[in-house]
Amino acid sequence: MMPAPRRFGAVNWLGLWTLYRREVLRVLKEYRETMLGPMVSSLLFLAVFHLAIEYGGRGGSDPVGGVPFLQFLAPGLIILAVCQRAFETAAASLVFDKLEGIIADTLMAPLSPAERTLGYALGAATTGLLAGAAVAAVLLPFVDLPARAPAAILFFALAGALLHGLLGIVVGLWAAKWDHYSASLTFLVIPLAFLSGIFYSVRQLPELGQALVTLNPVFYVIDGFRYGFIGTADGSLAVGTALMVAINLLLAFVVHRLFATGYKIKP
Amino acid sequence: MLAPTPPSPRHFGAVNWLGLWTLYLKEVRRFLKVATQTLLAPVVTTLLFLAIFSLALGRAVQTVGGVPFIEFLAPGLIMMAMVQNAFANTSSSLLIAKVQGNIVDVLMPPLRPGELTLGFAAGGVSRGILVGLTVGLVMWIFVPIRVHAPLFVLFHAVAASLLLSLLGIAGGIWSEKFDHMAAVTNFVITPLAFLSGTFYSVDRLPGLWQTAAHANPFFYMIDGFRYGFIGHADGSLAAGIAVLAASNLVMGWIVYRMFATGYKLKA
Repeated sequence: MMPAPRRFGAVNWLGLWTLYRREVLRVLKEYRETMLGPMVSSLLFLAVFHLAIEYGGRGGSDPVGGVPFLQFLAPGLIILAVCQRAFETAAASLVFDKLEGIIADTLMAPLSPAERTLGYALGAATTGLLAGAAVAAVLLPFVDLPARAPAAILFFALAGALLHGLLGIVVGLWAAKWDHYSASLTFLVIPLAFLSGIFYSVRQLPELGQALVTLNPVFYVIDGFRYGFIGTADGSLAVGTALMVAINLLLAFVVHRLFATGYKIKP
Repeated sequence: MLAPTPPSPRHFGAVNWLGLWTLYLKEVRRFLKVATQTLLAPVVTTLLFLAIFSLALGRAVQTVGGVPFIEFLAPGLIMMAMVQNAFANTSSSLLIAKVQGNIVDVLMPPLRPGELTLGFAAGGVSRGILVGLTVGLVMWIFVPIRVHAPLFVLFHAVAASLLLSLLGIAGGIWSEKFDHMAAVTNFVITPLAFLSGTFYSVDRLPGLWQTAAHANPFFYMIDGFRYGFIGHADGSLAAGIAVLAASNLVMGWIVYRMFATGYKLKA
């Protein structure tokens, strides 16, 4: 008897789930690099800042954002891991498949552009959140971190992870060599993250600096995420929330169009 | 038609200067070709670190080692960029050659183990020094760098780059997959570099932390290098020079033996 084509309705749930699972599992398989790596580097940052502040200068620092500096820093380190991991998952996955010539396997599957967008983006976001949880687990024994607004923590973590996942898809589709991938990390993603107020309060910056930072979407991610822990924010949470929703919708639309037109993947 | 004269073997004396020079040139051109990644990226990354650490710690830690924090920090960051790039040059060169299968191009020519060691190591040192110069020049725009003892700057720059180049050769030969290299970089090199007194003065650290710092070769590299700029050292300069000289001799011998025995290179 001839095999019958699989039938599915408006959404290919099995296909979407498979793509999502693959994206997550391929990252978890390399957990030493993808999970342990951020844990070690976050601990290093924490150690360096702790040693520098405790045993430097005046042997202690003024509170920042109303809390001791390490409490101000820890959420930043967690969200940094979330965002970087989400971006790297999405971008590296696509670049690898393209360069190895196996992108055809994914393209051949009966997935609509929307399903591809969701599969890659949610997969990347999930790995980002997992990395964030791993970093949180390793930092919490050392930092007394309150959780004043858990809803904000969840919302901004998810928004930041999705934002970077979608951005990662765009870069992954655009990159033609690994050098493009590294360049996007070194010259775009990492500077945006580092200069977003993860390590310092943006109130310390001169006026021009503060104005420029408000143009950086990652600022709103860290500001809202950190607010969820320490209860204070440097910027406006309402603006942050609205901007996160808007920018994620915009990026999702862009990614959908890229998949629909087969940008750089289909001739 | 006259038959062409058959090629005769090239004769060389105690040292195959042409071969050595060719290997060295290959190693140098390899990184110059992707200067955006190998020279520009360290500049961007180091400037980012300068920005975040001086913004985050600048208020709590105003003077260290008798100079403003940013003047204390700058030499350490330059050194960190130099050693990380020296290590990356040799390790990536060897590992990529092994993975892609063109390591044979390096093993077939008539190069003695000493010449191989010298060629690769000199390439790494060149990258280290070039990165140091580039990063230093750009930093000079932002930080008043004055040179107190140029010979210390030179010695430590070369000694550190050499040691990390040799470590990179060893790492590149030992690794079989990129994951091994990533693990060595993330779990050994980066922590040693971070916890070496780049960001804080080790003389105020409590017992265990201070002992650990003094056992870390990176500490001596940074301490001596920084002394060359600011005229202040946390540890003993003589001990530092001795440790670096000894480490280089030991590593040089180890790498020589690796090439001589064909460890992981020849069947």
